[in-house]
Amino acid sequence: MSLQHYLVISSILFSLGIFAVLTRKNAISILMGIELILNSCNLNFVAFSRFVTPAETIVGSEVFRFDGQIIAIFGIVLAAAEAAVFLAIILAIYREFGSIRPDEVDTLKG
Amino acid sequence: MVVPLISIILLAPLAAFTLFAVLGLAKRNFPRQDYLSTFAMLVALGCSLLLIQEVTSDPTPLTVEWLSLGSVNFSMGFYLDSVTVIMLIVVTLVSSLVHIFSIGYMHGDPRYPRFFAFLSLFSFSMLFLVVSDNLLGIYIGWELVGLCSYLLIGFWFEKDTAANACKKAFLTTRVGDVGMFIGMMMLFAKFGTLSLHDGTESGIFTLVEGLSGTGDMVWLSVAGILIFCGAVGKSAQVPLHTWLPDAMEGPTPVSALIHAATMVAAGVYLVARMFPILTPTSSLVIAYVGGITALVAATIAIVRFDIKRVLAYSTISQLGYMMLAIGAGSYVAGLFHLTTHAFFKALLFLGSGSVIHAFHAMHAHHDDAEHPEDTAHEHDDNSLVHEHGAEIPPDQDMRNMGGLRHKMPLTFITMLIATLSISGVPFVFSGFWSKDKILGGVLGRAMEWSSVHHYILFGMALLAAGITAFYMFRLIFMTFFGEPRNQEMHDMAHESPWVMVVPLIVLAALSFPVVNTIWFNKDNFKPPKQPHIHAPQHAYVSPDSKIGDANFGFSLFGVSTAQAAEEDAGPDTAHADDAHHIHHLAHNIAMVLSICVAGLGILLSWLFYHRRRFSAEGVATTFRPVYNLFWNKYYFDEFYDGVLVALTVWKSRLFAKFDLSFIDGIVNGVGKVTRDVLSAFIGFFDNRVVDGFVNRVAEVTWAAGGRIRKIQTGAIQTYLFVVLGGIVLIILIFRLF
Repeated sequence: MSLQHYLVISSILFSLGIFAVLTRKNAISILMGIELILNSCNLNFVAFSRFVTPAETIVGSEVFRFDGQIIAIFGIVLAAAEAAVFLAIILAIYREFGSIRPDEVDTLKG
Repeated sequence: MVVPLISIILLAPLAAFTLFAVLGLAKRNFPRQDYLSTFAMLVALGCSLLLIQEVTSDPTPLTVEWLSLGSVNFSMGFYLDSVTVIMLIVVTLVSSLVHIFSIGYMHGDPRYPRFFAFLSLFSFSMLFLVVSDNLLGIYIGWELVGLCSYLLIGFWFEKDTAANACKKAFLTTRVGDVGMFIGMMMLFAKFGTLSLHDGTESGIFTLVEGLSGTGDMVWLSVAGILIFCGAVGKSAQVPLHTWLPDAMEGPTPVSALIHAATMVAAGVYLVARMFPILTPTSSLVIAYVGGITALVAATIAIVRFDIKRVLAYSTISQLGYMMLAIGAGSYVAGLFHLTTHAFFKALLFLGSGSVIHAFHAMHAHHDDAEHPEDTAHEHDDNSLVHEHGAEIPPDQDMRNMGGLRHKMPLTFITMLIATLSISGVPFVFSGFWSKDKILGGVLGRAMEWSSVHHYILFGMALLAAGITAFYMFRLIFMTFFGEPRNQEMHDMAHESPWVMVVPLIVLAALSFPVVNTIWFNKDNFKPPKQPHIHAPQHAYVSPDSKIGDANFGFSLFGVSTAQAAEEDAGPDTAHADDAHHIHHLAHNIAMVLSICVAGLGILLSWLFYHRRRFSAEGVATTFRPVYNLFWNKYYFDEFYDGVLVALTVWKSRLFAKFDLSFIDGIVNGVGKVTRDVLSAFIGFFDNRVVDGFVNRVAEVTWAAGGRIRKIQTGAIQTYLFVVLGGIVLIILIFRLF
């Protein structure tokens, strides 16, 4: 498997996430779309880290670097925190408007 | 010695006034302002007498630079010659006596101290005028004299008549002053100086002499006549004489002062002082104005019943005499008459004041019962400015008098002496000599030049002399002789207190010629020489009246002035001898004629008013138009009221109308145009264009906002879509470029 495969998968995931964010009528679904986008990014980090970053020679032996993988783990943690905040906001919105449909929450409409 | 003496003469009365003014600021009065002012005047009198000995020295003992404007310098200084000294003595002497008399006359007046302060200022102004060595100083003194006369004539300003009279006096004399100022400016423009005579030979007199025979003298004649205009106002010559009778509204001592020493004398003094610049033309004008004044005033005086007004017109008449004399070249005679007249006219006024005071005391008695507080100052409240018959105050109306000679013997005797003097009763009285000198001088001039003008002037003078004798004795007969016409008033009359009678006696003594003679003695009196330009075609050596002096040999010292004059006649002796003989003859003729007319006048007066051989009323009825003319004072006041005043009022109305219709019209029109056209346009512009623009902008903004805000859908996904689109766009742009 080459880098291209990963990138294609990642692009599909990203596009699906965007699509979900823009089209879903349910805030939870939008959250899920966002998670897809985040994960497509994580996949990109890991893939680039595995295929693009050259190996370093340390004390005579070749050693791989794991910078991308570590950032991907940070991204997962971020996604978890984000999901918690998002859900809290959804709850607050629901209490206020009685709905979690974004098109119904349009108080700032011009 | 001269400068300190003159300074004392000026400063003494000024100090008396200044003290009053300064204390007045603190609302206080010096306790004896009357004694202080009188003392100041007596000091000035003493210094003036001492000055007689100083005349021969330098005529301009003091000249200081006063004001320097660019290259033009105005100096102030003293001018001391015989004329100055005589005027100083006359002014200080009469003023002193008036001060003393006023102590009695004004006693109890609520503004008693102020009266004396004003008298002091008046005397100071006159003295300043007299000693000034330049026309500017004379003009300053001149205006101060006018101011003081205003203050004193209007001294009882509670009376409307007095308030009007002082305004009239001030304004009428102002008319003449304008002429005088123009005349001064003409001289200044020509000569570049206003000094009469100074050490550097650049005074006006010297410069005028330098003009001798340099052609056209018209401007000099005009300047002389214009300066004489000032004298016409101040000395009450026709046609500006109307203020003087009205000035009788002032207290009687003020009348005496004005008529004898200060105000009216200033005019005569000015003409005498400016004598060297008078050309034959201006001299003739002056002489004619004087002659007409003498006649007009004398005829008016015949029909007056108010004792003070008779005297007022008599003064005008006598002033006309003096002007006539000076105009005819008998310069010394004019001044001599001024001197003698000062004494007997002051005497007559103070005497009439004494009579009025006597009658007034009766009024005071009557009033005491009803208004005990306001008696003293209302001496002649009810007289009106325009005296018309019944409006004469009773205590001044000669028809209420009569037989007073027993009641007031001293007043009677002193006034009789003055009357004899003014009437020209021969030999014993000074008035005869001065009047005769004038008549002789004029006739002499007429004979010497064979001049018709001077014969006419002589006739006028002679006629006026006769009329003067007539009306003065009419006054005496009506006041002091006959039966009392108003028994009640007569019973109350009494002789005045000593403080009032003593000045009368002193003045009566001065009405005898010996005293005056001392001053006009050849040794003391050195009149200025008149330049030859004055008589281009007549070689007329002695307009400065050496010859005019000739017949005046009544010297106390026994020095024949005639002889002295002959010795002094200089290189033209041969001609002077001829002229001298003519003048001698003229004087003899004039003397005889003047005695005749005076006698005739007195005789007629006696027949009319004492013996009642003829009825004055009958004559008045027979010559009704003439009588009316005299009674109405030649309609001068009516003329001024009807023509000048009416013209002024009409002109003012016209201007008011012009202002109201034209100026106001313009202003209103401009306002209307501004409001209706300009403002309307600007308002329209503001409302439509500026406001419209602002509104349009707002509307556009509003409308645009209305449209644009639709972008803000409030739908979060729309925003996200736009963001995404934006990102894609940015990426594309970066990729493409």
